[in-house]
Amino acid sequence: MAEILVVAEHRDGKPADVSLEMLSTGRRLADQAGCGLLAVVVTSDVSAFAPRLARWADSVLAVKTGKPEHSLAEPYQKALASVIRERKPNLVLLGHSSFAMDLAPALAVDVGAPLATDCTNIAMENGAITVTRSIYNGKVNALYSFAPCETVILTGRPGVFPVEEGRGKGIVEEIDLPVHEEAEYKRFEGCSEPEASEVDITKADVLVAVGRGVKEKGNLQLAEDLARALGGVLACSRPVVDYGWLPSGHQVGLSGKTVRPRLYLALGISGAFQHMVGLRGSKMIVAINKDEKAPIFTDADYGIVGDVLEIVPVLTKHILEPRR
Amino acid sequence: MDIVVAVKQVPDTSEVVDVVEIDGSGKDIERGTLVSRINEWDEYALEEALQWKQKLGGTVTAVTVGPGEWDDTLRRALAMGADRAIRVDEDATVIDCSAAARTLAALIGRLPHDLVMFGAQSEDFGSAQLGPMVAEMLGIPHAALVVRLQVEEGEAHVERELEGGARDLYTLRLPALLTIQTGINRPRYVSFSSVRKAREKELSVMSLDELGLPPQALTPAVELARLELAPAGKGAVLISGAAEEAAARLATILREAGVI
Repeated sequence: MAEILVVAEHRDGKPADVSLEMLSTGRRLADQAGCGLLAVVVTSDVSAFAPRLARWADSVLAVKTGKPEHSLAEPYQKALASVIRERKPNLVLLGHSSFAMDLAPALAVDVGAPLATDCTNIAMENGAITVTRSIYNGKVNALYSFAPCETVILTGRPGVFPVEEGRGKGIVEEIDLPVHEEAEYKRFEGCSEPEASEVDITKADVLVAVGRGVKEKGNLQLAEDLARALGGVLACSRPVVDYGWLPSGHQVGLSGKTVRPRLYLALGISGAFQHMVGLRGSKMIVAINKDEKAPIFTDADYGIVGDVLEIVPVLTKHILEPRR
Repeated sequence: MDIVVAVKQVPDTSEVVDVVEIDGSGKDIERGTLVSRINEWDEYALEEALQWKQKLGGTVTAVTVGPGEWDDTLRRALAMGADRAIRVDEDATVIDCSAAARTLAALIGRLPHDLVMFGAQSEDFGSAQLGPMVAEMLGIPHAALVVRLQVEEGEAHVERELEGGARDLYTLRLPALLTIQTGINRPRYVSFSSVRKAREKELSVMSLDELGLPPQALTPAVELARLELAPAGKGAVLISGAAEEAAARLATILREAGVI
């Protein structure tokens, strides 16, 4: 039975964006291949999700495990492994999310299927699947195929696959699949939300964002001066938080905030996708980086190839005192 | 508390001097001019392991599957404070994640392990697969993308990073496997004298055969067809000139665009 299976992830009562991206991709591939699309969601509240997923999927399998659904990957793994063993789909799609990074590799071992993660392109031709992955800091694309097998599992990079609203009306099926875990093996203890921050970078019109390329904490003053001259606020990429140079409230990207300022000025930021996902709504992106091959120059509107530490003070001067 | 940390060596492709080119085979990059170093995530995993060893006693063993050059990274792990290091002698650039996971699971399964730590992903390929695969193969609980850890009385309390800065909290019974996210700690500075002392520590090399694995255990299920240099996108309008001139032009552009 030719079939594509999409795992729909959800949190706080909403399907994840990346799951809608995967459902759209699954729909496109299923239409090309003339096969069915099955969405699987592990939930206790079937009415909340299933009808929405059925717009893309021919059938939706709502799995009730009797466990809190978003909290542990293990009930998902057991439920999905049992569905995969029974239905033998050609392809299983998940978003490359924190959830999938925990779940997909263990699931692949569990069912004995090959796994390619963080794919940026997925193609299916005469039943053969090929994928593209972005490696070496976005500088190289790697193309993969798979040894003959029953099922291939893939995770897709967030924000890369377009969402096309589904127009179908699939069937919703509910199954009970109680999970009996070995007691005390792994317990869910709760969630924590991000700490409140002094500044709200999501409300700023102008963001001056610093990355690894500013070299050391002492150099942040240069960026801060520029931010002040522009009437903006300081933001940053992940390494700057990891090094303890700025608090996490300033971080833009997948594990930080999503921003849409009028101007995003990126200083010494290479432009890893985890960062870029968080600023796609910006009206204008300007990058200053000494590596002309840095991926940030692909997405920026304007760029200067050069040393941030040299250019920023001069730029601040020209912002404060326009040449006549 | 016996902790095993898996590490790998990666070429540094992050900087301007590191020109990345595809080699003649079409399946690898030219490595000649690139500087190699320990995978950044693995450095955080090692630091975390060493801090827990300091608090609770026990051993830290660094393991890898890779070619002889990767001994540099194992030596660095020893210099950071690992007690010993083991390398399974196979060219890791030509095997896929599941083959590497099978090899590491066979090795780690033979070592005492209360905790197993992996970097959450590698800098070069970024698959983020190895840790949870090895956990499943060993039949122990795991948590990926750990940003905080507390170990006590046979249990690990962890915080797992989610999107948007949220976290999930879990308790895992030991032995358990954790994949470590950057920022969980500040990896220590490695002094010259610790590098020298590390030369006396044990670094052993093992073969697949010694692990009881047949050569077929490395047959990839995910096959690399070819590499291509990433095509340039629409691309930024690049402002050329010396700092003074380029900065002045950028200021004018920002003003004319009305963004300031």
